[in-house]
Amino acid sequence: MKLKKILNPKQLLLTLLLLFIALTMIVPLLNILALSLSSPESSVSMSGIRVIPKNLDFINYRIVFNHPVLMRSVFNSIYITVIGTLINISLTCLAAYALTRPNLTLKKPIMVFLIIMMLFDPGLVPEYLVVQDLGLMGSRWSVILITSVNVYYLVIMMRYFEGVPKDIIEAGTLDGLSHVNMLTKIIVPLSSAGIATITMFYSVIRWNEYFKASIYILNQKDTVLQVILRQFVVLGDTVSLIGQQNVFNYNDFARVDYNALKAATIIVAIIPILVIYPVVLKFYTKDALAGSIKE
Amino acid sequence: MNSLEKKERRKILFKKLKSEKILYLMLLPTIIYFIVFRVFPIFNMRLAFYKYNSRSPWTFVGLKYFRMIVSSPDFLQILKNTLVISFMKYILLFPAFPIFAILLNELRSSETRKLVQVISYLPHFLSWIVIAGIWISMLSVNGGVNEILHIFGLEKSIDFMTSKDWIKWVLYFCEGWRSLGWDSIIYFTAIIAINPSLYEAAEIDGASRWQIIKNIIYPALVIPMVTMFILNLGFFLNAGFDQVLNFSNDAVLSSIDILDTYIYRIGIQSGQYSLATAVSLIKGVVGVFLVLFTHFTSKKFTGKGVW
Repeated sequence: MKLKKILNPKQLLLTLLLLFIALTMIVPLLNILALSLSSPESSVSMSGIRVIPKNLDFINYRIVFNHPVLMRSVFNSIYITVIGTLINISLTCLAAYALTRPNLTLKKPIMVFLIIMMLFDPGLVPEYLVVQDLGLMGSRWSVILITSVNVYYLVIMMRYFEGVPKDIIEAGTLDGLSHVNMLTKIIVPLSSAGIATITMFYSVIRWNEYFKASIYILNQKDTVLQVILRQFVVLGDTVSLIGQQNVFNYNDFARVDYNALKAATIIVAIIPILVIYPVVLKFYTKDALAGSIKE
Repeated sequence: MNSLEKKERRKILFKKLKSEKILYLMLLPTIIYFIVFRVFPIFNMRLAFYKYNSRSPWTFVGLKYFRMIVSSPDFLQILKNTLVISFMKYILLFPAFPIFAILLNELRSSETRKLVQVISYLPHFLSWIVIAGIWISMLSVNGGVNEILHIFGLEKSIDFMTSKDWIKWVLYFCEGWRSLGWDSIIYFTAIIAINPSLYEAAEIDGASRWQIIKNIIYPALVIPMVTMFILNLGFFLNAGFDQVLNFSNDAVLSSIDILDTYIYRIGIQSGQYSLATAVSLIKGVVGVFLVLFTHFTSKKFTGKGVW
């Protein structure tokens, strides 16, 4: 029966097509990984579709992890991601809780205000001038504060909070639970899947953020990995990195293949995403992955 | 209503607000955030009508900057680029998402389907810097794409990233590469929500796969398609700033320069604050118009608005 299914020509064609699409998505990533793990002598002439490293060598990672500028930017990225996501999730939970209380008097005007704030984008320069006037220019707090709440995620969080069974909330109210206790002891533990999902979305945005960091953080020592990555990989500025050559091993440096070094830097920027990707699959795309009922 | 009754009502309202004090306190950080980082910038948009001074008050110049924009030859080209890129992304990608969802659903082997899903959702989470880095390497003269083209007999390598003819197609392709899997989720979940009894009834009637797709699956996708279509229309003038910024280089800038990259260049890089604000204002007004338009069209056709 199973064999018959696979040998069906239409199914075979469909499988091949979808696998081809999946390959175009994964091969470029695996190629970058293979490039970063190959020795510089082999990586220079390595095929662009090869997915297995040629002459395994960790030289590129040795350079990346010993590079003062890169490593400091990794720590800055972690710092901004952790503090920023904490602010995001706290503000979002507090606001979502207040807005999902039944009969909140000012709910409607506040929702209208938030939706206007979401839809209307005042533009780059007006925002830039506000950051300047607040004295945040050059500080990492500019990047942390400027994306404190995302209205779209706030609305999703409200849906999760509304999913908490009414009778549990009523029981809590009867027991005289304060709003703070209700939020921390009942709503948050019962919406853990939602909070995990939203935390993950926020942290991906934080980790991938480069534009605001590139205009508001002026000093290279405070900037984030994505900004350095952009200078190096997209703008092809190798000078700012070579400038640091005295600090790493001279032999390593003489051998280096820049494309492979770029590949290693890209991989370092992808790793945190891969770490949280299973959380996405577990909570957000669970239903889609479970597939249809008809089987 | 007499004034005593009004007073009484106000008293009750005030009492209620007072009892909800703690809830407003919880909303306060969010409200302050939006006032500081959204409302203040909206006030700053008046800069479009003023000449910027960093120390002294701004001087009013009327429509000077709007006249500069309209008479600039760059602006027309940039507007055209924005519209073309946005429009083409729509035309090419919008049908691709539901089609991909239908194809996934047609796959009998659930292992293969899961594999394809897990792989295709991933690119959505990569930053545009990473994506640009990967594809600059893949599309270079010695990159993987040219290697594959050589296998198929193409002799001369194509330098995709610096070719004015190719760069727009690179943008469309990479947008699809990033979003095909993720943006098809909404359609896929709509398909698996279809009542199984419909399939059974169709099988009894001896319907072919094609008839099932046409008469059962496609109708279930219409509502999410309409919703996604109008939701995206409000962002039509964005055309993908982060992507364009990271995929452009001096050789192709003129053919993919869009409104947002123009605002960034004249505003932040060359410090023409008023001119950039004027472009933002035009873009913002058109954006609001598009959102209102989609809201009311959506209300009319689906009974559901954007809010």
